[in-house]
Amino acid sequence: MIPTTALATASMAAAAEPSPVLALANTPVLWICALGVFLVVAVQSVIYMKAARKAAPSVGMTPQELRTSFRTGAIAAVGPSLAVVLVAIALLALFGTPATLVRIGLIGSVSFETAAASIAAGTTGAELGGPTYTPQVFAIVFFAMSMGGAMWMLATLILTPLLQRGGHKLEKVNPALMTVVPAAALLGAFISLGLAEVPKSPVHVITLLTSAAVMGLCLVLARVPGLRWLREWGLGIAILVGLTAAYLAHSAGLGPVG
Amino acid sequence: MTATLTGPQTTAGMGEFERTTSRWGRLTMIAGLVFSLAGPLYLVFFADLGVTATQLFTAFAAVAGTFFVIWLVEPLTYFPILGSASMYQAFMIGNISNKLLPAALIAQSSIGAKPGTPRGSLAAVMAICGAAAVHLVSLFVFVGLLGTWLISVIPPDVTEVVRIYVLPSVMGAVIIQAIVSLKQVRATIVAFVVAVLVLFVLVPLVPSLAMVATAIVVLTTLVIGWFVRKREAGAGRDATPEVP
Repeated sequence: MIPTTALATASMAAAAEPSPVLALANTPVLWICALGVFLVVAVQSVIYMKAARKAAPSVGMTPQELRTSFRTGAIAAVGPSLAVVLVAIALLALFGTPATLVRIGLIGSVSFETAAASIAAGTTGAELGGPTYTPQVFAIVFFAMSMGGAMWMLATLILTPLLQRGGHKLEKVNPALMTVVPAAALLGAFISLGLAEVPKSPVHVITLLTSAAVMGLCLVLARVPGLRWLREWGLGIAILVGLTAAYLAHSAGLGPVG
Repeated sequence: MTATLTGPQTTAGMGEFERTTSRWGRLTMIAGLVFSLAGPLYLVFFADLGVTATQLFTAFAAVAGTFFVIWLVEPLTYFPILGSASMYQAFMIGNISNKLLPAALIAQSSIGAKPGTPRGSLAAVMAICGAAAVHLVSLFVFVGLLGTWLISVIPPDVTEVVRIYVLPSVMGAVIIQAIVSLKQVRATIVAFVVAVLVLFVLVPLVPSLAMVATAIVVLTTLVIGWFVRKREAGAGRDATPEVP
C-alpha cells in the first residue's frame, strides 16, 4: 500500500518548499467547509444531549448518570483520539490542513482516506506525493475521498430508518431480542476485529496481548477504592503501553515485512 | 434501541427521544454531507483547474469499486449495537470501532446499564457526545493548530508504529472491557468460536469474503447467541429482560 513512501516523499518535499498543491489546499473556502463540518458535529451533539436529558427521567436515569456517561465517553476517547491525531498529521503534507481536518473529522479513517486517495490518483496516472501530484490531481483525489465518505453517510441515511422499522417489528415478537442481540453483536465485532490482527505479524499479536493484559490489570486494580479512575483511563493507558510494546517489538525487527 | 419494557412513561419518553434524534440526526448528517462535498466541488468548479467530469467519474468509480461493499455492510453491522439514534452520530464522526464503541461500552459499564436497554441507549448517546467533543478538540488542536509543528518534532518511525498497530492496541483492551462488563459468557464463547472459524477457515477458502468477514461474524454470533441465550430456569421462558 502507498502510505509510507508517498507520505515520506510528500513530507520531505513539503519541508523543502511550499508546493502549489498545498497553496491550493489551504484556500479559505476549504477552511470554511472544515469549520462547517466541525460545527455540524457539535450542533448534533448538543441536540442529542438535550434530547437525552429530556428522556432520562422516563427511564429512571439521573442527571448524574448522564454526566458520568458523557465524561466517561470523553476520557475513553482520549487514547484513540491521540493515536488518530498522530497518524493524521502525516496527511497534512499531502492534503493540507483543512482537507485533512474534514476527511479525518468526518467519517473516514486514515487508512481509508489514503487508500481511496491512492486509488483515485492512480486513475489519473499520478502518484500521491510524487512529481506528478499536481493541484488538478489533488482536486480529483479530494473529490473521490469526499464522495467515499458521502456514500457511507448516504447508506446510513437510507438504511437506518429501514432497520429501525425492522427492529421494532422484531421487538414486538420478543423483547429479549433487543437485549441479547446488541451484546452478542458487540462481542462479535470486537473479537472479529481483534483476531483479524493476529495473522498480520508477531508484533500485532504482542500488541493485542499487551494491551489486553494492561486493560485487565487496570480493571482489577480499579476495584481498589481510590483507584476508580482506572476504569475510565484504563483504555488510554492500555493503548499507550500496547503501542510502546509495539514500538519496541517493531524496532527489534519483528514487524511485517515491506 | 428502545425496548417496550415497562410502563407507558418509558415508552413515551423514549418514543420522543427516538423521534427527535431521528429527525435531527438525519438533518445534521445531511448538513455534514453538504459541507464535506462543498469543498471539493468548489475546487472542481471554481479553481480553474481544468478537471473534467470523466476524470471525476473515473476516480470515483475506482474508489466505489473497491469500497462499495463496506459502505453497505458497515451500517448493517453496527446497527444492532448502536441503535438508530447513535447511527447518525457514529457515521458522521467515524472511528466507530476504535473510539465510539469503546466509549459507549465503558460509559454503560460505569453506570451499570446494558446495551440495548433505554438507559444503555442514553448512556451510549451521551458517551458518544463526549467522545465527539474530544475527537473534535484533539483534531483542531493537534492537527489544525499544531499539526505542522508536530510533524517536524515527532520521528517518522513513531508515526509508522502508531499507524500500523493502533488497531490491535485498541482492540486488545476493548475485548477485555467488553467481556468483563457484558458478562455474557455464552455469547463470548460463541463469538470467539465463530470468529476463529470465519477468519481462519472460511476466509482462506473464499478470499473474496475478507471484506465482509466482520459482518459475517457479527451476524452469525448474533443468531447463535440468540439461540443459546440464558433462559429463566424451569419455565423455559426467556430470562426477564432487564428493566431499564
